[in-house]
Amino acid sequence: MTAIILIVIGVLLLAVLLAVRISNHRRPVDGVATFRRHIDALSPQARREVIDRVQNARDSGKGK
Amino acid sequence: MARDLAIDLGTANTLVYMKGRGIVLNEPSVIALNRQTGEVLATGREAWQMIGRTPGYIVAVRPLRGGAITDFEITERMIRLLLQRVGVSRFTRPKVVICVPSAITEVERRAVTDATRRAGAADAQLIEQPMAAAIGADLPIDEPVGNMVIDVGGGTSETAVISLGGVVALEAVRVGSFDIDAAIQNYVRREHGIAIGERTAEEIKVAIGSADPIGDENEAEVRGRDLMSGLPKTVLLAPEEIRFAIDDVVSSIVASVVRCLAKAPPELAQDFLVRGMYLVGGGGLLRGLAQRIERECKVPVRMSPMPLEAVVLGAGHCIEHYEALKGMFMGARR
Repeated sequence: MTAIILIVIGVLLLAVLLAVRISNHRRPVDGVATFRRHIDALSPQARREVIDRVQNARDSGKGK
Repeated sequence: MARDLAIDLGTANTLVYMKGRGIVLNEPSVIALNRQTGEVLATGREAWQMIGRTPGYIVAVRPLRGGAITDFEITERMIRLLLQRVGVSRFTRPKVVICVPSAITEVERRAVTDATRRAGAADAQLIEQPMAAAIGADLPIDEPVGNMVIDVGGGTSETAVISLGGVVALEAVRVGSFDIDAAIQNYVRREHGIAIGERTAEEIKVAIGSADPIGDENEAEVRGRDLMSGLPKTVLLAPEEIRFAIDDVVSSIVASVVRCLAKAPPELAQDFLVRGMYLVGGGGLLRGLAQRIERECKVPVRMSPMPLEAVVLGAGHCIEHYEALKGMFMGARR
């Protein structure tokens, strides 16, 4: 009885793993979302942190 | 866990940006080696001070020329030492984004990535210098407007038109501030009969070099070795002489900017008249260069607030937003 339950659980796990893999493969690349993310990451707001960090270090004489 | 790094592996200087920290290293791209044993004796500023002043058994070299690796093994050792200095060990292997000239060949690209991986990076990605410079110069490249950036480095000069996060037009020449130094060395040798080293040539450039006449110009006293007698000799150099000496190099940089302007689509070209072009890189600090480009291109030229750091800042931004910006890396597109 235990063996049957273990086999059933194993088969179910394999099926879930297979389903996840297939869905990942079939998911189309969302061009709009990727492009949006790319553009947003280049916005002045997104860049502020890096520029301020270096500017502050430079102003306080710690940079370089 | 290693912090990821962005490296501006320049012909003249190497800058390292550490994720979450900022610029952690800024030194000349020079390495000093013992010629007999192959041992590394010094790197960075210490090695730079040795250029032209070493005994026979020591050699101080710049392993990059024109933005490309001229000596693979030495470059790898230099990168390995740089990574060690910023805390990378055998057990902490960071992701690294390296800025390279857009004009480098496929073979040269592979040489840079291989050298970086072998030096201890878990992954090495390349980004074109003008793209990184535009990000670091804080230009609004996320908007559909024409942004033009001119990056004059030690070995290359690149001009790019960027809009909506991508390169629209690009022009690169393997000419940079080292060629200006070499032109000064040749001129002094030819016209004054004295030999000077590359560091002295650089000092002359900084002291009296200019690409266009500027007010308040002084002469400079230069010491070198007389080619006829072999004895030390001092000559007086005028700024006009230096301008004449470096004119071919400057003209070639300006011509590449003109070619890039000509490649830009008309819709973007009109933006430059309003927004101007941005000058970055150490070579961009040559006095009168912005003025000369402006005069010949009839487009305003502005200096980036952080011209020396702009490229590494741009690459640093890419390492901070690695997933969102990985499409910008060379080889990721197409």
